[in-house]
Amino acid sequence: MWFSSIYLKTLRDFRIAILGWGIGIGLLVYIVLRTVPSLTTTAAARASLIALAQGFNWLAQPVAVDTPGGYATFKYGPTILLIAIWALAAGARVLRGEEERGSMDVLLSLPEGRARLALEKVAAIWTALLGMAVLIAVMVYAGGAAVNAGFSFADAALFSLNLILTCGVFASVALLISQFTLERGSAAGLTGAVFVVSVVLDMVHRVIPGTDWISGLSPVYYYNLTRPLVPGFHNNPVGLVVLVGISVVLTVAAVWLFSGRDVGAAVALPKWLRRPERAVRAPVALPVNAWSLRSIYARSLGTIARPTLWWTLGIAGFAAWMVVVVKQTESQLVSIAQSSPVLKDFFSALGGSSVTNNASILSALFAFLPVALMVFALTQTNRWAADEEDGRLELVLATPEPRVRVLGGRFAALATSTVIIGVVTLMATAVTSALSGVRLDGGNLVAASLSMIPLGLLVAALGYLFSGWLRTAIDTGLLSFLLVIWVFISFIGPGLNWPDSTLRISPLYYYGTPLLHGLKLADTLGILVVSAAALGLASFRFARKDIGR
Amino acid sequence: MMSAIIDVDNLTKSYGGKRGIVDVSFQVEEGEVFGFLGPNGAGKTTTIRLLMGLLHADAGTARLAGLDCWRESVAIKRFVGYVPGEPSLDPNLTGGQILEYFAHLRGGVDQAYLKQLVDRLDLDTSRKFRQYSSGNKRKVVLIQAFMHRPRLLILDEPTSGLDPLNQQEFARMVKEAHDEGRSVFLSSHILTEVEQICTRVAIIREGRLVRVGGVAEMKDIKRHEITITFASPVPTEAFRPLSDVVQVDAPGDGRTLRLMVQGSADAVIKAAARYSVVTLTSHEPSLEEIFLRYYEGDGKDAEVRNVV
Repeated sequence: MWFSSIYLKTLRDFRIAILGWGIGIGLLVYIVLRTVPSLTTTAAARASLIALAQGFNWLAQPVAVDTPGGYATFKYGPTILLIAIWALAAGARVLRGEEERGSMDVLLSLPEGRARLALEKVAAIWTALLGMAVLIAVMVYAGGAAVNAGFSFADAALFSLNLILTCGVFASVALLISQFTLERGSAAGLTGAVFVVSVVLDMVHRVIPGTDWISGLSPVYYYNLTRPLVPGFHNNPVGLVVLVGISVVLTVAAVWLFSGRDVGAAVALPKWLRRPERAVRAPVALPVNAWSLRSIYARSLGTIARPTLWWTLGIAGFAAWMVVVVKQTESQLVSIAQSSPVLKDFFSALGGSSVTNNASILSALFAFLPVALMVFALTQTNRWAADEEDGRLELVLATPEPRVRVLGGRFAALATSTVIIGVVTLMATAVTSALSGVRLDGGNLVAASLSMIPLGLLVAALGYLFSGWLRTAIDTGLLSFLLVIWVFISFIGPGLNWPDSTLRISPLYYYGTPLLHGLKLADTLGILVVSAAALGLASFRFARKDIGR
Repeated sequence: MMSAIIDVDNLTKSYGGKRGIVDVSFQVEEGEVFGFLGPNGAGKTTTIRLLMGLLHADAGTARLAGLDCWRESVAIKRFVGYVPGEPSLDPNLTGGQILEYFAHLRGGVDQAYLKQLVDRLDLDTSRKFRQYSSGNKRKVVLIQAFMHRPRLLILDEPTSGLDPLNQQEFARMVKEAHDEGRSVFLSSHILTEVEQICTRVAIIREGRLVRVGGVAEMKDIKRHEITITFASPVPTEAFRPLSDVVQVDAPGDGRTLRLMVQGSADAVIKAAARYSVVTLTSHEPSLEEIFLRYYEGDGKDAEVRNVV
């Protein structure tokens, strides 16, 4: 059955994603819904929660945050749209990926028109999104019913529908952009940038009054017009209509461009958008003499350089921005936190102390940095497994390079990148705190920036270890699952009063609160030892395994 | 006395429950050009990947120049040039960058010789790997295999995707390597290619080696199907007793004869000349067809017959 049409075959390829993302996102909402009653046990706690939420209005508009539906909607805000990452990746690869692999030629040899083929692929994406929506709706409804949240299954379904319609927009953007790029990675990257810009644009009208027209340029703005879990919120159907409209227009444009262009080529951009053409050169004479071709380490570093740059800008930029924000809202945050038991708990769990100064606030915010670094390590570890699966290691291993050195070279490059990100983050934070007048302990700042490096190395080493047995998709999936679990344990576990033994399962526990309490040397060394052990096992396994496709 | 550059003894490899190769044994002498023939899925690539230390054998041994292919694979790779069956390289590197990278990994190569190889195969090294046609991708991996003048070349279907001109150039490169005393082990499913290039061949089928021998000795498995259409019906008896004629069929009205000839077609041509011939075509069966005919049945013929 699954191989009887392009639509079904494509849908089959999405089956793990449907389950993973559907259950994952559904579970996240379910858990938050279940925790809300414990946050609003007293009138004072309820008032504190509302006050706290107002402080984060720039991120997500707080409406009825003292209700389960309102709190869950506010709590996740734009972050729940992370599910759009799957959608944009699927949109980028559904046509361009087939062309990169060379399988599009075979598909187009079938007696089926190009538009039909493209539409079957798009239909598979939408069906997958609907599948996710069903799972999310069921879990959201279950979470709401468990705490008498007061919303119906229809509300939960509308919440899920709104979510996947927004994802569909980014899938359509990726589909369209992939008509102009030669690689699915470029299309996904550009769409990722569009996604980030969209989230930021949506924030503008909450920060600067009278700028709704700017936020209206963002699909996220229309996503926020429908909040069916929030009691009393007036859902505006225009939001849903606009999201559907954008998807339809972009998809039609993408399919039309796909139908008219050369397979394997990109749609030519207008002249004014093209890069300036280089002077025609004779074929490059050998040797090329590039530094990045001198060893496996150098080559790996060259490959990872660009993603490292972007992630460095993101992580270091976030850290620096946090310093500025803390300085600007210091008095407000401190007063809100001191009057709020909920916020006190939050800062106690993440920041390591009650809020008395900007260092303790920053300490809590800094807890997100190692998570970002771990995600970076995860994305790069994925390349190692993919290279082996795609046969790209075969010729490298046909040279007199020992297998362990090949793996070591690749890992060393990734380790170098994580160190660079840590060091640049330190520099950015130090410079920003000096310029903005935020007083931070120098030693602690060094500890906070650099002690996240072992966590990145741990994820990388585990990824290399798992790839010794697992295929790329499962390796990445397992590692992502672990990361989500760790984040959940460290960020939500303390609020649920989980025992210390459970909290210790997460490596983030060992990162601690270095901005306040300095480096926990034993814990940091412990993470390094576990990373080294995982890397050692990965090397042992890689040296003995069959190299396969 | 020549020594074995490749010595394979009862090599066995399976993939879970699926057959890879079973009890494969053969030797390749130093300086030989050895062909490894077999239909798709016969076990050629598995054997080659075992030789390259990419797979670990379940049983048996494989040695290159006396070194164990698994335990001493790094030492082996210093004197081996390898072309994989399905070349996969970084799609974002140019051909020139790929060649430089592999030259570095090999500790440097003779740049003049490298340029010579690039010129001979007419490769544009400025294009990215993903932009290459399959033939040009094959050229890149061929050049990287030859560029360090390895003592042994292990080539898995090396001419796949190459145009006839480049196939000829490749044949010259192999001949030069042979003339210089270097050894070549190449797999193929094209009988004529192996016949043209190799001095000895092995045939593998369904994971088992069915025959090893000199190319001349292999001629007995090479059959031609000759179809002759005459102006009027001719008796099949006139052709059955001829030397080298294995089978005669007369489908249709008796004016057309289909003859299976194993060896020289001289007697058939001379016999046909006694009649009025309208058309004559000769078709060399594919290796698959030869296998189906030659080795079909109870497998009795499938025993290893080491001719040499």
